[in-house]
Amino acid sequence: MKNKMSIMVVDDERIVRESLYHWFAKSGHTVDTAASGLEALEKLEQFPFDILFVDIKMPGMDGIELLHKVKSEYPDTIVIIITAYGSIESAIKAMKTGASDYLLKPFKPDYLSLVLEKVTQQQRLTAEYNYLKGHIERITRFDNIIGESRPMQEIFDIIPDIAVSDASVLLTGETGTGKELIARAIHAKSPRAHYPFIAINCGAVPDSLLESELFGHVKGAFTDAAYSRKGFLEVVDGGTLFLDEVGEISPKMQIDLLRVLQEKKITRIGSSESVDVNFRLVSATRRNVEEAIEQGDFREDFYYRVNVIQVHVPPLRERIEDLGLLVDHFLLKYSQETAKRVDCVSDETLKCLKKYAWPGNVRELENAIERAVVLARSRTLTAADFGFLSPPARPVRGAHTIKEMERVHILETLEDCGWNITRASGVLGINRVTLHKKIDRYGLRAHKK
Amino acid sequence: MTRSGCIGVVPIGAIPHVVTQVIAAHITGYLNLKATVLKPLRNPLYALDERRLQFDAGTILETLESRPFERVDKIIGVLNVDLFLPIFTHVFGEARQHGRVALVSLARLAEEPSEKPQLSPTTLERVAKVALHELGHLYGLTHCENDPCLMHFSGSLEELDRTPLNLCRYCTRYFRDETGGPDHFSEAP
Repeated sequence: MKNKMSIMVVDDERIVRESLYHWFAKSGHTVDTAASGLEALEKLEQFPFDILFVDIKMPGMDGIELLHKVKSEYPDTIVIIITAYGSIESAIKAMKTGASDYLLKPFKPDYLSLVLEKVTQQQRLTAEYNYLKGHIERITRFDNIIGESRPMQEIFDIIPDIAVSDASVLLTGETGTGKELIARAIHAKSPRAHYPFIAINCGAVPDSLLESELFGHVKGAFTDAAYSRKGFLEVVDGGTLFLDEVGEISPKMQIDLLRVLQEKKITRIGSSESVDVNFRLVSATRRNVEEAIEQGDFREDFYYRVNVIQVHVPPLRERIEDLGLLVDHFLLKYSQETAKRVDCVSDETLKCLKKYAWPGNVRELENAIERAVVLARSRTLTAADFGFLSPPARPVRGAHTIKEMERVHILETLEDCGWNITRASGVLGINRVTLHKKIDRYGLRAHKK
Repeated sequence: MTRSGCIGVVPIGAIPHVVTQVIAAHITGYLNLKATVLKPLRNPLYALDERRLQFDAGTILETLESRPFERVDKIIGVLNVDLFLPIFTHVFGEARQHGRVALVSLARLAEEPSEKPQLSPTTLERVAKVALHELGHLYGLTHCENDPCLMHFSGSLEELDRTPLNLCRYCTRYFRDETGGPDHFSEAP
């Protein structure tokens, strides 16, 4: 005995009210009747009925007027109009007003049963949809940031408050933890959401190029400046500028940016005219900024300017309870992208994945799942699909100096990661530019198989 | 829980004796209740709707509810007239939840409807199903969502033919509680 509804029959004819009352009662529904629209509204105030069966022709408030009032005050209540054969046009008007269905009197009992089944199913689906929507919003509250863990929920809670302010935000956390996603979420929830979001990885752009990228230049400002070009600080106009790896910015550039943040004006390279700029700054770093200040790599005044609000994004190992959700998310993503039927990870493997340290954090996990899905031979991923979970103990042969050990270690890591630079840099704890430099310096090459 | 006594099967109008006998036998066989066939009543012309040329089941129920029937707890009236409720085109039978009287009509259950219906085994089984289903309502059972259950709503003859004569295990439990019946009687697999 499930799916029982609360139903009110609204009809001025007693015989109709009684017939339907007994019929619905026999199906186990909670039933009440009302002889007029006003009585129906009074009863609705007392009890939230699921479904109203409303006769279209009633003295005083007719069925259409009642339908209007019910739909405006109780939008979730389903209204089914009962009408005589002659008033089909009114029934169609009722459908346009929000009635879920209509019944032409007299109708077959099985037709009433069918209509009831249909609206019951509709209401169940709506309830399910609302539940699932709420649940999904809760666990993926901002774009693709997945997490049920307490630290992530705390971040989700604070994002709306941060978003409405215009203060500079500094996101701290290890590489691969999803700092850019959080920056995007702050932008998406902010009044600047309809303006651009521009992300620059300061660690990946040489200082001279970064200046040109940010400030723009006029024609002839330097050898290759064949055209005038707006910098990102201008292009972002009204939006959010995300400076990733802000800790890698040179002290000189920090001074330039500090001035921009204070004056909200820039001067293109090679120009003497200043231009007003309007943007919100969100920065991110994986470095310990306080230490960087002590070491003189990071200017204290710049730090205070970019660090009005600080949000720490925890590494994956500190929110390992989210791993299952993340695995499901990436499995779905890559099984769809690759059109391969890979449904799940075995329980044993999931346990192993949870024990792994994930130095490259969520990014490393995503890459691992992508690789496993691409190479998978069955629908369930096992430990064998994640080779790094049990790396063989390999002695560092022939390495004597620290440089030699570094070279061998980098090479082995690259081979372990299938020469995926992003993953390898995550595992090594260095940024991609540095890794490229070291690959060049040591002349490392992938072995062709 | 009420300890049930006897069910009276009342022919209303010219109803072949075999029909009431079959109903009484099914009540005893499937629901484990005593049943007896009572003296016939006249056709309920008072309930005829001349515009629709059908008989108002609600009016017949109210009339029979107000009439005394001795030594029986519940009544099943058997007719061969087309029954309706004002809002519906027709009904095969009618009863009210926890009421005293239920109706079942042969009019739409026969394979070839006529004033003197051909009582094939199929027709008799349909009559028995509707009678037992309506009797279930008299004992408080509601429509059941399980397809293989006597209390599942059947809006057409095809559905009625698919419906079993047994109650599902949940309705059996409810019916047993209501009638104070024994632990073991006919139950759908």
